[in-house]
Amino acid sequence: MTDRSPADGPAVRLRDASIGYDDVPIVTRVDLTVQRGEAVAVLGSNGSGKTTLARGMLGLATVLGGEVELLGAPVGRLRERGRVGYVPQRHTVSGAVPATVREVVSVGRLARRGLFRRLGAADRVAVGEAVAAVGLADRMEEPVASLSGGQQRRVLVARALAAQPELLVMDEPTAGVDAASQQALAEVLARVSAAGTTLLVVTHETGPLSGVLTRAVVVDQGHIRYDGPLTGAEPATGHGDHHCGPGEEPVRAGYRLDQPTVSTRPVRLGGGR
Amino acid sequence: MEVLEYGFMQRALLASLLVGLVAPAVGIFLVQRRLSLLGDGLGHIALTGVAIGVLTSTAPVGAALVAAVLGAVLIELVRARGRTSGDVALAVLFYGGIAGGVVLLSLAPRGQATNLESYLFGAITTTSGDDLVVFSVIALLVLAVVGLLGQRLYAVSDDEEYARAVGLPVLALNIVLAALVASTVVLSMRVVGLLLISALMIVPSAVAQLLARSFRQALFLACGIGLVVSVSGTTASYYTGTPSGGTIVLLAIALFLVVAAAVALREATARRRHRRRGEVHAAHPHEHGEGCGHRPVPHGDHVDYDHDGHLHAPHLTAAGVHYDEHGVEVPAPGAGQR
Repeated sequence: MTDRSPADGPAVRLRDASIGYDDVPIVTRVDLTVQRGEAVAVLGSNGSGKTTLARGMLGLATVLGGEVELLGAPVGRLRERGRVGYVPQRHTVSGAVPATVREVVSVGRLARRGLFRRLGAADRVAVGEAVAAVGLADRMEEPVASLSGGQQRRVLVARALAAQPELLVMDEPTAGVDAASQQALAEVLARVSAAGTTLLVVTHETGPLSGVLTRAVVVDQGHIRYDGPLTGAEPATGHGDHHCGPGEEPVRAGYRLDQPTVSTRPVRLGGGR
Repeated sequence: MEVLEYGFMQRALLASLLVGLVAPAVGIFLVQRRLSLLGDGLGHIALTGVAIGVLTSTAPVGAALVAAVLGAVLIELVRARGRTSGDVALAVLFYGGIAGGVVLLSLAPRGQATNLESYLFGAITTTSGDDLVVFSVIALLVLAVVGLLGQRLYAVSDDEEYARAVGLPVLALNIVLAALVASTVVLSMRVVGLLLISALMIVPSAVAQLLARSFRQALFLACGIGLVVSVSGTTASYYTGTPSGGTIVLLAIALFLVVAAAVALREATARRRHRRRGEVHAAHPHEHGEGCGHRPVPHGDHVDYDHDGHLHAPHLTAAGVHYDEHGVEVPAPGAGQR
């Protein structure tokens, strides 16, 4: 092999990477490699830096030091960014002007097309498939604002799926979403993952996604505290070594580190907001 | 029609037609991204361009276009840096623009400085044939760019972060949009005046936003509304002797208030009717279902039950299930839903 095409290399590679905003690092000196086809949960409490880590991979936060590679190319220089799917940490689709499900999801196809090319038949097929995958085929022509919060999140997932991405990054896709929508999401992700798409899900509770995600990366105070099988960062069903005070909110779906070689600190979750 | 007998009114109506069509086509993207006042700011900056044009005896329209586009690009670059001081930088640029314009115009030779009012509030009846040619070219250019890049502009206006993550050229598209706004500002300058330009970009879009179901629909509707209020406002101003800009904008705002009231009324009526339907059998003795003794009647996307001659539609709420009255005869599908 003399040529190194962008198709080579891992989905994500961070080497000694520091990521933040303006000049303030939030994530410091992190090493992380995600191979293609992996399904990774990036876990951590609110403010741990897990969202910044993901945003750094996508070029949405500033890389202040080290290297960040996406699909085999430095993050700023990846030319075919259309191969990346992203579901931002938003609860709803919030544009001021009404838009239909089809219009929002069609945006997912734009990055794959040249700047002046109109979307064609193949794009319409992909949009239809993505909307069907999240179970909203019969709502295609409805204004997104008329859907429930959980359904709106599913529209954003469909937008990312419509891009037929090689790497799918999702930020808190289950937060504030009803149980039925969470289950629907888990099924979609299982199918996408089986088809070979790399998954990277930023979340503070794996919930129904535990069946899909296999590897966990736990972020705490800007550092990676655990990197291994998701089962190693298992849900803490009982109280474990954490004792709830009377005024404390219960942790709904937690996870606990069972490998003290990495860190002896139990990770506490920002349970309910 | 008397109004069409005069050449100056023919030109005025053509100019208002162009402006009414183009301003909302650009304005809807500003409404979408909640940057409604950008047009206002660029109007301020355009005034400095006008003043430079008047002082140097070059075409004020051309100088205004250059100033507004430069200002627009500068604003996008400031915004892209994302610093908190950006807000202040914009304010400095906007007020610097209008103050510079006023001071520069006052330096102009006697007789020309009186033009200030016509730029601030519009002077549509002074539109010349040459102006119309320039306006037509600007209007066609703006519409062509919106037609070509509309979907990308929508994407960036709707969710800038997503657009950036998937590699759409966000900064370039933002600059294109800002340049479109700047061009529209200059186009509208003669018709509604620099101080009222934003209104013609924003108010028709605000009306369309209340009525449309899709972005595409909203875009076309806004352009249609803009065209109608602009042309009828200009016509009305001829008969009432009022300034065209103010008349057009007041007409647009009146339309907005009427539509907003109608929409609110419709929603309130729908809620009241729904409550009344629920009250008929507020304490429903049993839940309808298979074998409950009442005949099931398929109705649109759900099944009603024939309860002693009237149709009951189950409605599940947090408080449990209650039954909405869906009439004695089978009504139009979907009626009474929500």
